[in-house]
Amino acid sequence: MFECFTDEARAVVVRAQDVARAAGADRIEPVHLLLSAAAGTGPGAGALRAAGLDADRAAASAAAAEATLLAGLGVDLDLVRERAEQSFGSGALDTRSRTGRLRFSGAAKRVLHEALRAEVAVGSRRLDDASVLLGVLAVRDAVVAAVLRDQDVEPLDLRRRLTTRGAA
Amino acid sequence: MASPTDAVATAAAADDPATGLRGVRALRELADRLEVLQVRAARDRGWSWQEVAEALGVSRQAVHKKHARSRKET
Repeated sequence: MFECFTDEARAVVVRAQDVARAAGADRIEPVHLLLSAAAGTGPGAGALRAAGLDADRAAASAAAAEATLLAGLGVDLDLVRERAEQSFGSGALDTRSRTGRLRFSGAAKRVLHEALRAEVAVGSRRLDDASVLLGVLAVRDAVVAAVLRDQDVEPLDLRRRLTTRGAA
Repeated sequence: MASPTDAVATAAAADDPATGLRGVRALRELADRLEVLQVRAARDRGWSWQEVAEALGVSRQAVHKKHARSRKET
Protein backbone atom coordinates (compact mmCIF):
# COMPACT_ATOMS: atom_id res chain seq x y z
CA MET A 1 0.00 0.00 0.00
CA PHE A 2 3.04 2.30 0.38
CA GLU A 3 3.55 2.79 -3.37
CA CYS A 4 1.13 5.73 -3.47
CA PHE A 5 2.76 7.46 -0.47
CA THR A 6 4.61 10.70 -1.12
CA ASP A 7 8.14 11.01 0.30
CA GLU A 8 6.73 13.18 3.05
CA ALA A 9 4.08 10.60 3.97
CA ARG A 10 6.72 7.86 4.08
CA ALA A 11 8.87 10.08 6.28
CA VAL A 12 5.95 10.53 8.69
CA VAL A 13 5.51 6.76 8.97
CA VAL A 14 9.24 6.15 9.45
CA ARG A 15 9.67 8.99 11.96
CA ALA A 16 6.66 7.76 13.99
CA GLN A 17 8.87 4.82 14.93
CA ASP A 18 11.41 7.16 16.57
CA VAL A 19 8.68 9.26 18.19
CA ALA A 20 7.09 6.15 19.74
CA ARG A 21 10.40 4.80 20.98
CA ALA A 22 11.40 8.15 22.49
CA ALA A 23 8.05 8.15 24.32
CA GLY A 24 8.81 4.72 25.79
CA ALA A 25 5.85 3.17 23.96
CA ASP A 26 5.87 -0.47 22.96
CA ARG A 27 3.81 0.12 19.83
CA ILE A 28 3.27 2.95 17.36
CA GLU A 29 -0.02 4.66 18.20
CA PRO A 30 -2.04 7.27 16.29
CA VAL A 31 -0.63 10.05 18.50
CA HIS A 32 2.90 9.14 17.34
CA LEU A 33 1.78 9.59 13.72
CA LEU A 34 0.31 12.97 14.70
CA LEU A 35 3.53 14.11 16.40
CA SER A 36 5.62 12.75 13.55
CA ALA A 37 3.57 14.69 11.00
CA ALA A 38 3.84 17.83 13.15
CA ALA A 39 7.64 17.49 13.08
CA GLY A 40 7.67 17.39 9.28
CA THR A 41 7.57 19.98 6.53
CA GLY A 42 4.75 18.77 4.29
CA PRO A 43 1.35 20.34 3.61
CA GLY A 44 -0.12 18.40 6.54
CA ALA A 45 2.43 19.88 8.94
CA GLY A 46 1.54 23.31 7.56
CA ALA A 47 -2.16 22.68 8.18
CA LEU A 48 -1.40 21.60 11.76
CA ARG A 49 0.51 24.82 12.42
CA ALA A 50 -2.23 26.91 10.79
CA ALA A 51 -4.81 25.18 13.00
CA GLY A 52 -2.79 26.24 16.05
CA LEU A 53 -0.78 23.14 16.92
CA ASP A 54 2.74 23.62 18.26
CA ALA A 55 4.89 20.49 17.80
CA ASP A 56 6.78 20.81 21.11
CA ARG A 57 3.72 21.56 23.19
CA ALA A 58 1.84 18.74 21.49
CA ALA A 59 4.64 16.33 22.43
CA ALA A 60 4.46 17.56 26.02
CA SER A 61 0.70 17.03 26.25
CA ALA A 62 1.02 13.57 24.69
CA ALA A 63 3.59 12.72 27.37
CA ALA A 64 1.16 13.86 30.07
CA ALA A 65 -1.75 11.88 28.57
CA GLU A 66 -1.28 8.77 30.71
CA ALA A 67 -1.39 10.78 33.94
CA THR A 68 -4.44 12.69 32.67
CA LEU A 69 -6.32 9.50 31.73
CA LEU A 70 -5.56 7.97 35.13
CA ALA A 71 -6.57 11.18 36.90
CA GLY A 72 -9.90 10.90 35.09
CA LEU A 73 -10.41 7.59 36.92
CA GLY A 74 -9.33 9.10 40.25
CA VAL A 75 -5.84 7.59 40.17
CA ASP A 76 -2.94 9.90 41.00
CA LEU A 77 -0.01 8.64 38.90
CA ASP A 78 2.45 10.85 40.79
CA LEU A 79 1.39 9.27 44.06
CA VAL A 80 1.62 5.74 42.63
CA ARG A 81 5.09 6.56 41.29
CA GLU A 82 6.15 7.98 44.66
CA ARG A 83 5.04 4.81 46.49
CA ALA A 84 6.72 2.56 43.91
CA GLU A 85 9.97 4.48 44.26
CA GLN A 86 9.80 4.26 48.06
CA SER A 87 9.62 0.47 47.77
CA PHE A 88 11.67 -0.24 44.67
CA GLY A 89 14.00 2.71 44.18
CA SER A 90 14.17 5.77 41.99
CA GLY A 91 12.78 5.36 38.48
CA ALA A 92 11.18 2.01 39.36
CA LEU A 93 7.98 2.77 37.47
CA ASP A 94 9.65 4.24 34.39
CA THR A 95 9.22 2.25 31.20
CA ARG A 96 12.36 1.19 29.43
CA SER A 97 12.65 2.16 25.79
CA ARG A 98 12.22 -0.84 23.54
CA THR A 99 14.91 -1.89 21.17
CA GLY A 100 14.20 -3.21 17.69
CA ARG A 101 11.34 -2.29 15.41
CA LEU A 102 8.09 -1.26 17.02
CA ARG A 103 4.89 -2.54 15.48
CA PHE A 104 1.88 -0.45 14.56
CA SER A 105 -1.02 -0.77 16.98
CA GLY A 106 -4.39 -1.76 15.56
CA ALA A 107 -5.50 1.86 15.74
CA ALA A 108 -2.36 3.10 13.97
CA LYS A 109 -2.89 0.56 11.18
CA ARG A 110 -6.43 1.81 10.82
CA VAL A 111 -5.08 5.39 10.53
CA LEU A 112 -3.22 4.33 7.38
CA HIS A 113 -6.27 2.52 5.99
CA GLU A 114 -8.45 5.56 6.66
CA ALA A 115 -5.82 7.80 5.02
CA LEU A 116 -5.95 5.63 1.92
CA ARG A 117 -9.74 5.61 1.95
CA ALA A 118 -9.87 9.40 2.22
CA GLU A 119 -7.69 9.75 -0.88
CA VAL A 120 -9.62 7.14 -2.87
CA ALA A 121 -12.85 8.95 -1.95
CA VAL A 122 -11.65 12.18 -3.56
CA GLY A 123 -10.17 10.34 -6.55
CA SER A 124 -6.58 11.11 -5.60
CA ARG A 125 -3.84 8.58 -6.12
CA ARG A 126 -1.25 10.27 -3.94
CA LEU A 127 -1.22 9.93 -0.20
CA ASP A 128 0.71 12.72 1.55
CA ASP A 129 1.25 13.73 5.18
CA ALA A 130 -2.10 15.54 5.18
CA SER A 131 -3.80 12.26 4.18
CA VAL A 132 -2.13 10.54 7.14
CA LEU A 133 -3.49 13.29 9.40
CA LEU A 134 -6.99 12.83 7.93
CA GLY A 135 -6.56 9.19 8.91
CA VAL A 136 -5.54 10.23 12.42
CA LEU A 137 -8.71 12.33 12.71
CA ALA A 138 -10.88 9.49 11.38
CA VAL A 139 -9.79 7.18 14.20
CA ARG A 140 -11.33 7.98 17.56
CA ASP A 141 -8.22 8.09 19.74
CA ALA A 142 -8.54 9.59 23.21
CA VAL A 143 -4.89 10.66 23.40
CA VAL A 144 -5.02 12.42 20.04
CA ALA A 145 -8.26 14.11 21.12
CA ALA A 146 -6.61 15.25 24.38
CA VAL A 147 -3.58 16.67 22.57
CA LEU A 148 -5.77 18.60 20.13
CA ARG A 149 -7.96 19.86 22.96
CA ASP A 150 -4.92 21.02 24.97
CA GLN A 151 -3.81 23.09 21.99
CA ASP A 152 -7.30 24.45 21.27
CA VAL A 153 -7.18 22.80 17.86
CA GLU A 154 -10.70 22.29 16.56
CA PRO A 155 -10.79 18.88 14.77
CA LEU A 156 -13.32 20.11 12.20
CA ASP A 157 -11.20 23.18 11.45
CA LEU A 158 -8.12 21.00 11.10
CA ARG A 159 -9.97 18.59 8.80
CA ARG A 160 -11.08 21.49 6.60
CA ARG A 161 -7.50 22.78 6.38
CA LEU A 162 -6.23 19.31 5.53
CA THR A 163 -8.78 18.71 2.77
CA THR A 164 -8.15 22.12 1.18
CA ARG A 165 -4.36 21.90 1.35
CA GLY A 166 -2.62 23.35 -1.65
CA ALA A 167 -5.88 25.00 -2.72
CA ALA A 168 -5.22 27.93 -0.38
CA MET B 1 -1.74 20.91 39.07
CA ALA B 2 -5.17 20.76 37.40
CA SER B 3 -6.91 24.10 37.03
CA PRO B 4 -10.72 24.33 37.36
CA THR B 5 -11.06 24.45 33.54
CA ASP B 6 -8.93 21.29 33.31
CA ALA B 7 -11.29 19.65 35.78
CA VAL B 8 -14.29 20.59 33.67
CA ALA B 9 -12.58 19.29 30.53
CA THR B 10 -11.64 16.06 32.31
CA ALA B 11 -15.19 15.58 33.57
CA ALA B 12 -16.63 16.19 30.09
CA ALA B 13 -14.12 13.87 28.45
CA ALA B 14 -14.76 11.14 31.04
CA ASP B 15 -18.28 10.71 29.64
CA ASP B 16 -16.75 9.81 26.29
CA PRO B 17 -16.24 6.05 25.83
CA ALA B 18 -12.99 6.68 23.93
CA THR B 19 -11.56 8.37 27.01
CA GLY B 20 -13.08 5.91 29.46
CA LEU B 21 -11.77 2.89 27.59
CA ARG B 22 -8.35 4.41 27.14
CA GLY B 23 -8.29 5.20 30.87
CA VAL B 24 -8.99 1.55 31.65
CA ARG B 25 -6.11 0.58 29.38
CA ALA B 26 -3.78 3.05 31.13
CA LEU B 27 -4.80 1.55 34.46
CA ARG B 28 -4.16 -1.99 33.21
CA GLU B 29 -0.74 -0.99 31.87
CA LEU B 30 0.07 0.67 35.19
CA ALA B 31 -1.01 -2.48 37.05
CA ASP B 32 1.23 -4.53 34.74
CA ARG B 33 4.23 -2.35 35.59
CA LEU B 34 3.50 -2.70 39.31
CA GLU B 35 3.09 -6.45 38.88
CA VAL B 36 6.56 -6.72 37.33
CA LEU B 37 8.08 -4.88 40.33
CA GLN B 38 6.19 -6.93 42.90
CA VAL B 39 6.87 -10.30 41.25
CA ARG B 40 10.57 -9.49 41.01
CA ALA B 41 10.66 -8.51 44.70
CA ALA B 42 8.85 -11.69 45.72
CA ARG B 43 11.18 -13.89 43.66
CA ASP B 44 14.20 -12.09 45.12
CA ARG B 45 12.87 -13.01 48.57
CA GLY B 46 12.65 -16.64 47.57
CA TRP B 47 8.96 -16.95 46.69
CA SER B 48 8.22 -19.90 44.38
CA TRP B 49 6.31 -19.33 41.13
CA GLN B 50 3.45 -21.27 42.71
CA GLU B 51 3.31 -18.85 45.66
CA VAL B 52 3.48 -15.81 43.39
CA ALA B 53 0.71 -17.27 41.21
CA GLU B 54 -1.54 -17.93 44.20
CA ALA B 55 -1.08 -14.38 45.51
CA LEU B 56 -1.93 -12.94 42.08
CA GLY B 57 -4.86 -15.32 41.65
CA VAL B 58 -3.61 -16.77 38.38
CA SER B 59 -2.14 -20.09 37.29
CA ARG B 60 1.53 -20.93 37.86
CA GLN B 61 1.96 -21.37 34.09
CA ALA B 62 0.51 -17.92 33.41
CA VAL B 63 2.76 -16.14 35.87
CA HIS B 64 5.82 -18.09 34.77
CA LYS B 65 5.16 -17.41 31.10
CA LYS B 66 4.66 -13.70 31.76
CA HIS B 67 7.57 -13.07 34.12
CA ALA B 68 10.27 -15.73 33.80
CA ARG B 69 11.46 -14.41 30.44
CA SER B 70 11.55 -10.73 31.46
CA ARG B 71 13.76 -11.65 34.43
CA LYS B 72 16.38 -13.07 32.13
CA GLU B 73 16.29 -9.96 29.97
CA THR B 74 16.95 -7.60 32.86
